[in-house]
Amino acid sequence: MEAFLQHLLNGLLLGGTYALLGIGLTLIFGLMNVVNFAHGEFYTLGAYLTFAAASLLRVNFVLAIAVAILGGSLLGALCERVLLRPLRGESIDTTMLVMIGLWIATQNGELLAWGGVAKSIPHPFPTAPIVIGPVSVAPLRLFVLAAVLVLIAGSHVLIHRTRLGVAMRATFQDRETAALMGIDVGGIHTLTFAFGSGLAAAAGALLGPIFLVYPSMGDLAALKAFSVVILGGLGNFAGATLGGVILGIAEELGAGYVSSGYRDAVGFVIIILVLLVRPSGLFARAGRVG
Amino acid sequence: MLTLESVSAGYGRVEALRGVSLGVRRGELVCLLGANGAGKTTTLKTISGLVQARSGRIVFDGEEIHGLDAPEIVRRGIAHCPEGRRVFPFLTVEENLRIGAWTRRGAEIAADMDRVYASFPILSERRRQPAGTLSGGEQQMLAIGRALMSRPRLILFDEPSLGLAPTAVEITFGIIKEIRETGTTVLMVEQNAYGALRMADRAYVMEAGRITLDGAARDLLHDAHVKQAYLGG
Ligand SMILES: Nc1ncnc2c1ncn2[C@@H]1O[C@H](COP(=O)(O)OP(=O)(O)O)[C@@H](O)[C@H]1O
Ligand SMILES: [Mg+2]
Repeated sequence: MEAFLQHLLNGLLLGGTYALLGIGLTLIFGLMNVVNFAHGEFYTLGAYLTFAAASLLRVNFVLAIAVAILGGSLLGALCERVLLRPLRGESIDTTMLVMIGLWIATQNGELLAWGGVAKSIPHPFPTAPIVIGPVSVAPLRLFVLAAVLVLIAGSHVLIHRTRLGVAMRATFQDRETAALMGIDVGGIHTLTFAFGSGLAAAAGALLGPIFLVYPSMGDLAALKAFSVVILGGLGNFAGATLGGVILGIAEELGAGYVSSGYRDAVGFVIIILVLLVRPSGLFARAGRVG
Repeated sequence: MLTLESVSAGYGRVEALRGVSLGVRRGELVCLLGANGAGKTTTLKTISGLVQARSGRIVFDGEEIHGLDAPEIVRRGIAHCPEGRRVFPFLTVEENLRIGAWTRRGAEIAADMDRVYASFPILSERRRQPAGTLSGGEQQMLAIGRALMSRPRLILFDEPSLGLAPTAVEITFGIIKEIRETGTTVLMVEQNAYGALRMADRAYVMEAGRITLDGAARDLLHDAHVKQAYLGG
């Protein structure tokens, strides 16, 4: 039982970051019909920006993470304006290829800039775990879990409770009519891409200090993000959130009770099962919405 | 108030409008009749900026508006209530209305929303419901209410009676008459030529991308060609 609770807690933490990755990817797909193969690179970017700020510039740890999220968002906005906006109206394959190009280019750029040796991000938290009843957790992990929950809740509020969120969802559903209402559809695209990229960077910035930072770290993250999106249903915000948590917990349980070597396999077995049984995702509703 | 001068527009190689000229004066209710594919929807879309004119001029309140994009045209005071209603199905009724007021800021928005609810009590009852769950007639009310939320001086209606039950058609026409009586100018496309001509001041008839006939609605009701082509003989 204790081991189970411990796995559950670890799974929740991992799943929360998967949810951040998945939410970004699913929003970008739902709104823009872009399959963002470069999504994992924003995760890597978030980790490296945190490393640069915290380790090289010796910025306060929390501030370093904020800088990384902001940096990821800004770069996302830039990518949308420079690479995707001129391709509006092109087929989904065209934008997919461009994003694959961006993926390869940024990953090699990171290799060039930082070298292939993994970096570790210094953090101010004590290493002795905090014991809460039957489970123990490192203070850093507790901080990450809290940050993840705040980011997910914040995203939910943004999408479901704000004026901008209503405009985003309206644009998802019917971009022509959204333009008739006076919404700047292009601006919504830029913001959504920036938002999704910022969440991916946040996931990297938060997991980077727990694990290590290296140029190809985004590849596995992107795979997880795609898994989450498939689990939750394309374009589905709540589905991505739940899908992320389910995937994280399943992986932890699989690693704990089967073998840690099977950690990543567990996730993909779930994906295959979902695709066989419910191809439109576990939480698919009619149509795609925020 | 609104003038189109020899406006041509199309989609790729399709020429949907071939030199359309028409005018709407302040306070008028003008209707645009024509068979399917005549170019009525394209005319409205060209006015509201969803389709860009290839040539010709569109002047609204003394300013040229062709070439402006759709959001800018709403800001200038033209609302477009599109064909098929196009409410946002997964937004609630209230969110649909809020989006209608997207171009505006300030406290008056809440008052306008209350006014819409007062005119359409059924929308008030369903304000938390997704718009996709409303009946066709209710969706049409919502689409009209949403268009009013931008405080337009001119409203374009594209086939507001399409697909509605007869009682809902009557209610919808009643609402449009009221809107015009409160001083908002209306340009309306309708398949229901009889109903439209009875409430309009003037009308234009469109065929294959051209205006082929225009006149006082009263006269067109008795025009032999209109009778034969649009009023069922
Ligand atoms: N999106 C589009 N792409 C290509 N052709 C279109 C499009 N929309 C309309 N058309 C064509 O333009 C012409 C006018 O259409 P439309 O303005 O919708 O007519 P109406 O509203 O009078 O039925 C038709 O020949 C139609 O086939
Ligand atoms: Mg039409």
